[in-house]
This record gives sequence, structure tokens and C-alpha cells, in this order.
Amino acid sequence: MEAIAQKIREAAKRLLSEGKVDVVIGYAKGSVPMREYPYFAYTPEEAENLTWTSFCCNNLALYTIRRPGRMAVVAQGCVSRNLVNLINENQFKREDLYVIGVNSPGMVDRRKVQALFPGKTITEVIEEPEHLLVKGQGFEQRIERKKFLRSNCLTCVQRNPVISDEMIGEKGPEGHGGNIDNVAAPWEKLIPAERWAELQETLKDCIRCYACRDACPLCYCHVCFVDEAQPQWCGKTQDEADVATFHILRAFHCAGRCTDCGACESACPQGIKMRRLTSKIEKDIRELYGYRPGMEIGATPPMSLFRPNDPQDFIK
Amino acid sequence: MSDNAEFSPRIAAFLCNWCSYGAADLAGVSRLQYPPNIQVIRIPCTGRMSPKFILAAFRKGVDGVWVSG
Amino acid sequence: MFARRRFAVLKNLLEYVGIEPGRLHFSWISSAEAEKFQKTVAAVTEAVKALGPAQHMIKDIRKVA
Repeated sequence: MEAIAQKIREAAKRLLSEGKVDVVIGYAKGSVPMREYPYFAYTPEEAENLTWTSFCCNNLALYTIRRPGRMAVVAQGCVSRNLVNLINENQFKREDLYVIGVNSPGMVDRRKVQALFPGKTITEVIEEPEHLLVKGQGFEQRIERKKFLRSNCLTCVQRNPVISDEMIGEKGPEGHGGNIDNVAAPWEKLIPAERWAELQETLKDCIRCYACRDACPLCYCHVCFVDEAQPQWCGKTQDEADVATFHILRAFHCAGRCTDCGACESACPQGIKMRRLTSKIEKDIRELYGYRPGMEIGATPPMSLFRPNDPQDFIK
Repeated sequence: MSDNAEFSPRIAAFLCNWCSYGAADLAGVSRLQYPPNIQVIRIPCTGRMSPKFILAAFRKGVDGVWVSG
Repeated sequence: MFARRRFAVLKNLLEYVGIEPGRLHFSWISSAEAEKFQKTVAAVTEAVKALGPAQHMIKDIRKVA
């Protein structure tokens, strides 16, 4: 990890000092452990702060939107897919983008690590190739990285970047062995009443902070539907109907675009598993229209396309 | 509304101006009888339909939604 | 036609979160098909009636106020 971080810093310094890009978007060490945050390096000196650890959970594609000038982005598989998405949606030109590609080792869910030490404060996490050394006051434990991966990283199918101008480190295997079809849409086996109960159970802690929306690289509308006031389509209360409306519409807006990067779940302060909704749509898009978002530049998104023989048994 | 037999649902019907709205008009002109439970909302085209409309209709308490193009 | 893809995904999603399949209906009716219109209204009403009053997604002002 540290070797890759060092190479990212070197690449960033080189790009910035040669004037190839105006900004390098990467990750920097958080002020508390396990909270790496997006970092914008404008000068070679600032590039020293860039890092690469097991907790780079934000999706950096988000920060390329409406950013003038040329930018370099540190991109693992999902970020690169979102960048392709944004290029396809004409948000910026490929020429303005320099992709520093990294093979994703799979990011670690800080909640899963914290759950191992209930009530204790973790003060330091040291990266080792296959393990993490978790330290706190009066305890120290070596844990296996693989067991604490984020659930979307476990079922990832694209760990190497789709596009890259420069590859840091070696390309690695594409998957982690999990099969998305086994875990996507977990409520499909249930009857409607149970599904509704599950939805309520999932969303009951939602405080409507919209962190999931703000962390999502797909959400770049100038006015989000939740902020619309006239007409107000989505109420602002924590009533179950309003919360459900928000989450259903948010998921629907990601239809055919969501790359399952998991930024929404990582950003949620309440630990809500909204991938239970988005994975269903992703699965539908895959099964109905045979499309995986962000895999190729120039692909038409499935929602702006139709074929005469699209399934329509549900229409009378 | 304890007895299901007496239950008279409220259904929001989103009808396309050019297709089903015309059909509804023709049904009226032809004196065809149909249940009075639907409340017709005319939309310029089925492409105008947004999931917001459907969820807003449910939120306001309709029992069913029917979209027709 | 674009709407068809949208509806397919939306209907699947709404049924996935627990809206009963009979609550949401889609149909294609041309402006010349008054009879099909009549039949579809009857079928939709019948299906919703069979399900009874809606339980979910209704905003209850008393609960939040």
C-alpha cells in the first residue's frame, strides 16, 4: 500500500511540476483513523499529502464535475467506470482528464472494523499486505483485510481501471470472488408485506441528511428533486412515506448508471444499506438490457435507448 | 371501509393526450359505461411520466395508479 | 418507447419495495380503442378493489406533525 502511495505522490508531483494538469485529485490521510478524505493537490508540495490506504472509500469521480481546467484523478475500477459514465454524459472531455490508474485492493469497511471493538476507540491502523494492525488504548490486534471488505468490494467485477493514462503498480485480478447475483436484491424472495417491513427496517434510521446523494458521482443535477419546492415532490419530514420516496427516487435516478462503488453506504452517518435498493435496479438493467455502466467510452446509456423487442409483458 | 365489497378505490389515471385520453373521450362519446373510480390526469405524452408523479399519487392516498399511453 | 424501459425498471423497483403488483398498471391504448379503454378501466378497478385500500407510501400528517 505504502509503495503504491509513494508512486502516486511521485506521479502527482511530476504531473503538477510539468504543468500537465492543474490539479491532482486523490486521497489524504484523515484526522482520525479509517477516515481518508478526498484531497486536491494544486502544487507539487501539496502532492506530498496524497496517500493510498484501505479506507479510500469516497468516489473521486464526483469532484471532476463542473471543475474547470485539466485534472488528474487517482482511479481504481469503480472510479474509472464513473469517469467513463461522466464522459459519456458529456460532463467533460476525455482530453481534460488524466487518469492515474490503480488496481483496487478492495476497500475496508470501517464499521466492520469498529464493530470488532465495541465501545473502544481505535487510534491507529497500520497497513500490512494482507492484514491490518488495529491499535487503540490498551489493545492491539492484527486482522485479516479480506474479512472486513465493504460488501460492494466483495462482489466487485472490475478492480482494474477501465481507462488509464498511467498505471501505478501492477494490474491485479478483477474480482474478489463474491458473486453479485447471489446478494443483489435480497428481498426478492419475500412477499410484498414483508418487503415493505424490510424497507422500513432498513430506512428507519434515515435522518435525511442527503450524504448519500452528495457522495454519489451520479448526482450532479443543478436542482435535486428533494430541493424542489414548487411543486414539492418529496416531502421534507421523516415520515415513512417521505423517506421511502426519497430513497426510491434516488435509487431510480441511478438506473443504468450506478457502478456499485459503495460511496453512498460509506458516506451514510447512520449506516443505512441503500445498496439493497440500488442493487435491485442494477440487476434489472443487467438482466433486461444486458448493460454494465461505465465499461466503455461512447456506450449509450440503457435509459436513453430502446429496442423494439424490449420486454413489455407488464403492459396490458 | 370495513367490508371489501363496499370498498370503492381511488385510482389515479395518467393518460396520454394523444392515445388513451382520446380513447377516454371516444368511450364517453360512444356511451360506453366504465367504473367511476378513476381520476384522469392528462399528460402531454407518456414520456412526460415521471416516477415522482406515481410516488406523489401514492403519498396523497390513492389506492392504485394506472399509466396509459 | 423510452418510457417503456423506464416503466419496466420502476415497476420492478416499486414491487421490490413492497407495493403490491396489482396497484400499478400500465397499458397501451390507441385513441380509437374505446372498447379496450373500457375493459382496461374495469380490469384496473377490479384489481385494485381486490387488494383493498392502500397501506403503504401514504403520508400521515398526524404522525409527523
